[in-house]
Amino acid sequence: MSTFHGLEMARQALSTQQSALYTTGHNIANANTEGYSRQRVNFETASPYPAASRNHPEIPGQMGTGVQVGSVQRIRNEFLDNQYRAENSNTGYWETKANALGRMERLMNEPSENGLSSTMDQFWQSLQDLSVTPENAGARSVVAQRGLAVAENFNYLSESLTSIHSDLQNQMDVKVQEANILLHQINSINEQVKQIESHGNVANDLYDKRDRLIDDLSNSFNIKVSYSKSSSSSLDIADGLATIELVNDNGKSFREPVILLDGNLGLEAGEGSKVNELAVSESGKVTAGGQTIDIMESKGSLKGLIESSNMYTEMLTGLDDMASVFAEAFNSVHSEGYNLEGNNGLQFFEFTGDAGAAGSITVSLDLINNPEKIAASTDGNAGNGDNATALADIFNKALENDPLGNDNSVNGFYQSLIGELGVNAQEANRMVDNTNILKNQVVNQRMSVSAVSLDEEMSNMIKFQHAYNAAARSMTQTDELLDTIINNMGLVGR
Amino acid sequence: MRVTQGMLSNNMMQHISSSNAKLSTYMNQLSTGKKINLPSDDPIIAMNGMNYRSQLTQIEQFQRNTNEVHTWMDNSDAALNQATQSMQKLRELAVQASNDTYGADERQNIKEEAEEIKAHLIDIANTNVGGKYIFNGTNTNALPIDEDGNLSLTNDPVMIEVSGGTKLQANVDPESVFNEELFNDIDSFIDALGGNDQATIEQSVESMDENITNTINARADLGARMNRLELIENRLSEQEIVATKTMSENEDINYAEVITQLITQESVHRAALSAGSRIIQPTLMDFLR
Repeated sequence: MSTFHGLEMARQALSTQQSALYTTGHNIANANTEGYSRQRVNFETASPYPAASRNHPEIPGQMGTGVQVGSVQRIRNEFLDNQYRAENSNTGYWETKANALGRMERLMNEPSENGLSSTMDQFWQSLQDLSVTPENAGARSVVAQRGLAVAENFNYLSESLTSIHSDLQNQMDVKVQEANILLHQINSINEQVKQIESHGNVANDLYDKRDRLIDDLSNSFNIKVSYSKSSSSSLDIADGLATIELVNDNGKSFREPVILLDGNLGLEAGEGSKVNELAVSESGKVTAGGQTIDIMESKGSLKGLIESSNMYTEMLTGLDDMASVFAEAFNSVHSEGYNLEGNNGLQFFEFTGDAGAAGSITVSLDLINNPEKIAASTDGNAGNGDNATALADIFNKALENDPLGNDNSVNGFYQSLIGELGVNAQEANRMVDNTNILKNQVVNQRMSVSAVSLDEEMSNMIKFQHAYNAAARSMTQTDELLDTIINNMGLVGR
Repeated sequence: MRVTQGMLSNNMMQHISSSNAKLSTYMNQLSTGKKINLPSDDPIIAMNGMNYRSQLTQIEQFQRNTNEVHTWMDNSDAALNQATQSMQKLRELAVQASNDTYGADERQNIKEEAEEIKAHLIDIANTNVGGKYIFNGTNTNALPIDEDGNLSLTNDPVMIEVSGGTKLQANVDPESVFNEELFNDIDSFIDALGGNDQATIEQSVESMDENITNTINARADLGARMNRLELIENRLSEQEIVATKTMSENEDINYAEVITQLITQESVHRAALSAGSRIIQPTLMDFLR
């Protein structure tokens, strides 16, 4: 046993306790860093003396030689990560949908005094007024202007829905680009991890960074992450290289697995890991790495965007149907009546431009300029307003041959459009709340494992500081011991 | 479970923000007076709301229509009243003139008066209310009787919708009152007065009676329709009350209830804030010296 054994042991203890203090400092510093997992220094007792060998000195028992830093490990539960990611794709899906539907609700602005519904009511009123005073030029102008207001309201809704629809398409492209950028970032971290791990180290802070990026990615679709050893020399506690696979709602692989990031492939080929970039078509078909799957099978904000954009298309189609059916019914009744000049009515509503019916409907300019051409009469007499009544009847009665389905009137059809929107948006809002609660639960569980507790770090700090002080004291004690040997021994009789 | 500061502050933020969301909902309800703001708040209320609004608009419109029918009927009734009086005056003149003590000169005087009354009857037939000739059927822009006394009567009924699908005739059939026969009778009376033709004058009393009966019949018919109009008006105002009430029950808030909820939520909010301030504040650091 060396004379300086005590000094060496104290020195190692000092440096080990010091490294624990530094790690505590690192934890405290990152207490508020998003995605940071607390780290712990794993202390190990140093190899005892004597080591088992052929020529070991015959002393009874082994003597401890102090402490050393085994490894610095981050405290993290992979299982909770998987749970978080599954919940995160759900939240992403519902939040995207709720957001898009909320915009549609605010756009449609029902029920209110300014929506399409009340514009239609006002138009109906003006027709009733006309039926009562058909000879009145004022009542005629009001009908023309209110008709125009209805047409313009249709135009406005159609334009706004179309513009939000194309906005959603853009968001979809951006989302896919974002996912590809994330994949490349994760890939480059994979490569750094590989270099560090091959030297027997663990890249804790890089793992955190990679996990955070994977968390972000999981918002867009459901993914499954698996890890593989980066090299034969890497430690067992090292995380290794991440492989990311696109999976369906239930977390199951597709029949032909869609690998977005392959952590294994590179290892065998002696290259870095490989990214299969995503591409998505408007219909929701996603291709990656030569596989094509339906993104609708994998919940996430991408699916949310596609579904929302479909809902915008449905609403547009609904409004188009409503506008064209209404205009056709209105025109046919109008053409049967007689105007003040004694002629049959012209087309009241016209369609100009190549947008859908709701986008292109307008009132004939001839009628706006000459309201006396509105055919309010059924017999050509100025005081007959029966045709105006017939026009007013179109709004609330089921139309012939049921063009809007289900014995629907024009007003009834619009009400059901809004009702459906309301139900969908309500469900989306409710699911946002529910999925957020679940996600937060997992977030809390994850934080319970990985987050930094300042109180805890502070206690640790005191613990390590005391150990450090004691080690220093033990060094002083050894020093005194050596002092006795060097300075006070062999001086008998001096 | 290991609990960290981060979790505490996360939870606190969540509670405070959900509490804020509730406060904002109550705030919205109180300032708009409506239970819902968007269809998704309650799709059923939203759909019903749209429907009730349309219904109420319709009822209000039909009330407006009945006002117009009233104008037609009141004016027609007043005109027919005057017409009856004028015809009675003519009959009186006929009775007076048929007295055989009357000479040609006196009958000439009566003739002048009769001519005035005829002109008055033409005026009545040409009554114009708000730009409409009310005794010319649906041909409201044309004079029923022109300056020369030529009749061009249209007897199409003016129909006005007074409640969903129900139409009421607003005008009086001019043919039943101001017809060719009436003016022929008056003309032959006037001619007889000029020609001092006692027999025809005596006959005129009878024909005047017939015309008076016609007018009274027309008024009776009008009166019956006025009754019906009143019944419809009563029904419409009842419907208006019911519709307004239904709409209000559907979408209006109960102020007492919402204010109570707001106050309750406010105290919950205060509690959350104060709990937060107590939990977030102290750390071990505060006690280590």
